[in-house]
Amino acid sequence: MQDLLDTLEKVNQLALTQDEKASVQAYFERVAQDLPSFAEVDTQNVTPMVYVMPLSNVLREDESSQPFTRDDLQKGAPEAEDGYWEVPRLIE
Amino acid sequence: MIYTTKKEPTYQQKAVALDDMILTKDSPTSAGSKMLENFTSLFDGTVVEKLAENYEIVGKVTVSEFSRGMLADSAVAALDEKQIKGVIGVETNGAYTRSAALSGKVFVKPTYGTVSRFGLIPVACSGDTVGVMADNAETCEELLSVIAGHDDKDGTSLPQEMIEKAKEVTPVKKVAIVKGFDGAAVESAVEKARAQGVEIFEVDGEILLQAKAAWAILSSAEFCNNVSKYDGVKYGYRAKGCRTIEDIYVKSRSEAFGTDVKTAILYGSHVLSSDNYEKMYDKALRVRRLVREYLDDLLTKVDAVMLPACSTANLSVNAISVYEESLYTAPASITGLPVVVASGVQWLGKPLAEGSLLAFSKQL
Repeated sequence: MQDLLDTLEKVNQLALTQDEKASVQAYFERVAQDLPSFAEVDTQNVTPMVYVMPLSNVLREDESSQPFTRDDLQKGAPEAEDGYWEVPRLIE
Repeated sequence: MIYTTKKEPTYQQKAVALDDMILTKDSPTSAGSKMLENFTSLFDGTVVEKLAENYEIVGKVTVSEFSRGMLADSAVAALDEKQIKGVIGVETNGAYTRSAALSGKVFVKPTYGTVSRFGLIPVACSGDTVGVMADNAETCEELLSVIAGHDDKDGTSLPQEMIEKAKEVTPVKKVAIVKGFDGAAVESAVEKARAQGVEIFEVDGEILLQAKAAWAILSSAEFCNNVSKYDGVKYGYRAKGCRTIEDIYVKSRSEAFGTDVKTAILYGSHVLSSDNYEKMYDKALRVRRLVREYLDDLLTKVDAVMLPACSTANLSVNAISVYEESLYTAPASITGLPVVVASGVQWLGKPLAEGSLLAFSKQL
């Protein structure tokens, strides 16, 4: 379980504390108790249901628009300067 | 409690509040998360635009982080203390259902696709539904009629002619209760229904018990994807003192997300991994169809299915407790079927039956 959690942390760009890991592990173990009966449900000839209501392809007119300016979009940026989002230098 | 009160209602009969999952351009939307604590949207959600035409939006109510928690108790408090007409909120994992049942409020979770999801903070897109909580069914009906409607901006929005059918009222004369779903307030609700001449049938809905695990799998998978965009770069929280881009991602997400959110993210990526995709994610999509087909068939024989809204246990707020309580709410979450919470229980109907369910709940 520890290896699994370490991998999942890494792929999700997270670093958990030991207490958090214990909580996550407890949750995984609790749901796992229900999985044997879940696995026994016969779904062999059942189609997966992605959408719960009937949907047809939704298209709109292919018209360009620019609802927001760069300044608008950067109003919520943690750090931005001269129209760019700032991050630490990527290439030395 | 109330997160931001713009103003005291000037005309109480038109005052409504939104929950903090609905984007508003003139006040922050934080989704109950440190990740978005200072975030203000550039646009209003469609429901905000619809309400603003004739109602006064007086503020927003707080939610648990990404509304994944046990209760929507701020909505209840807002109704009780702020003298507003109703709260418009996003039901994603049963919080509104449980809170309405425990507080004696009425809540309508309409059929998926009848109210636009444009401008919501997404959690589990295939189940997230905008609903209305109020003191009575009449108000739920009134506010639902305002926010319902087709929206080109939401790809899952139903055609207007379908949505209109949700206003039709068919009397509820037969109600099913389901074996294995013992919970709060069932006996008194059955008595109230019988007093209205409703016939009660007990059915063996074993497949409904599987909705809990299936919805845990599907909702975590969708949530995991929906929050992958929060990286501390473009908007939202950024940790201090980061030296590399990886630092920004990891520290920002780790500092800003709470434990239950991290749990859902990890579980979501677990069920989507190549080892588990077929036996968990794909399997859950198939179980979803079985649950829906079972309910569709049952609802040709009865007019509504009554389910408890919660157990009789004291409700804790951790992820495991929410998982346990989702036994009751997952059937509606995973199928998109409409539910009205009244008299402390859920009344679930066939697609677009919310008008009938609300009319019925007025008699209880």
